Amino acid sequence: MRRTMLYLPGNNPNMLTRGHLFGSDGLILDLEDAVAMVEKDTARILVSKYLHQGEFGKCEVTVRINGIDTEYWKDDLAAVVPAKRLDGIRAPKVDDAGTVKILDEEISRLEDKNGIPQGKLKLFCLLETAKGIWNAYDIATASPRVAAIIPGGEDLRADLKTERSDDSTELEWARRMLVFAARAAGVDPLDTVFSRVTDDAGLRKETKFIKQLGFAGKSIIHPNQIGIIHDVFNPTEQEIAKAQKIIAAAKEAAARGQGAVSVDGKMVDVPVVKRAEYILVRAGLSEVK
Amino acid sequence: MKSIQAGTLESMDCLVTLTEAPAGAGIKIAITGASAARFKSAMEKKIKETLAELGVKDIEVAVQDNGALDIVLGARVEAAYARLQKEGAR
Repeated sequence: MRRTMLYLPGNNPNMLTRGHLFGSDGLILDLEDAVAMVEKDTARILVSKYLHQGEFGKCEVTVRINGIDTEYWKDDLAAVVPAKRLDGIRAPKVDDAGTVKILDEEISRLEDKNGIPQGKLKLFCLLETAKGIWNAYDIATASPRVAAIIPGGEDLRADLKTERSDDSTELEWARRMLVFAARAAGVDPLDTVFSRVTDDAGLRKETKFIKQLGFAGKSIIHPNQIGIIHDVFNPTEQEIAKAQKIIAAAKEAAARGQGAVSVDGKMVDVPVVKRAEYILVRAGLSEVK
Repeated sequence: MKSIQAGTLESMDCLVTLTEAPAGAGIKIAITGASAARFKSAMEKKIKETLAELGVKDIEVAVQDNGALDIVLGARVEAAYARLQKEGAR
């Protein structure tokens, strides 16, 4: 599950040590925007040490490297790829399939060099420009490594020559486009951050909205945001009970050689069963198929 | 003699200052700050281990500590040494 992925500043020992204790599904050790230019070298070493030590609980662990338009990205990858406790790379400013291929090649080279199974490391692509959003499906299908695509927030607004509004109207089309591209490609659509960290009501509203659009989760910048997002994404007891009833009825029907079946007076067919299975996955009661 | 720093004085971090020393001078370590009294010997051990891994025999190390774990202390020493090397290469 990727309901919440918490950014941890890569040069902050306090957050790197405690980050996994807050209960997010994933962690993003950040070498990019959260690290000042003059501290890129020290952050890279610090993050590498933490990854080698590997104490991050059950979290999915990723590192946001610097963009391929910088001098840092290859050193970032060289420092983190060999580490035992790394699940993926979050790459900023992915504009097209070509960017994915460049990253894919370098990660493959480092996997080979360090005896890591090919393709172990996943790619989480940040689409932070209008071009990136337009190319979303091509990016999502450019490599089997791609596990998720994520729309940009502030960078995307800047590229769209607009600014932040209270309800993020300016990002709405990009979000819809990204969900379609991700679902069509079979990768996770993950949402951008909600930066007003003390606005709980605003966060809940936005999370409900992006969940309704089809997002699988959200990037976060503060541990206080975890509970609210999980609360929105977690199925209610009522939903779980209904899903279990549907799955049981479908299994029974299948055993009898029937296709569709009726539960509480409503027809249950394949899409309804799929949705019920997804509810049980989100509730942690079933594995992802 | 060149001197260079890495780290911060934030919580759970430390500021490491490395100063070049002439050949044969050995390793000199000075630790001040939050955990200096209680963990001095463990911190010295970590610093010496890190310097040995880096192949450093002669250097002065000053640490201002604000509760850094071993892993952080090692990372800051390594980063400071990398900076010193880079500085020397210029």
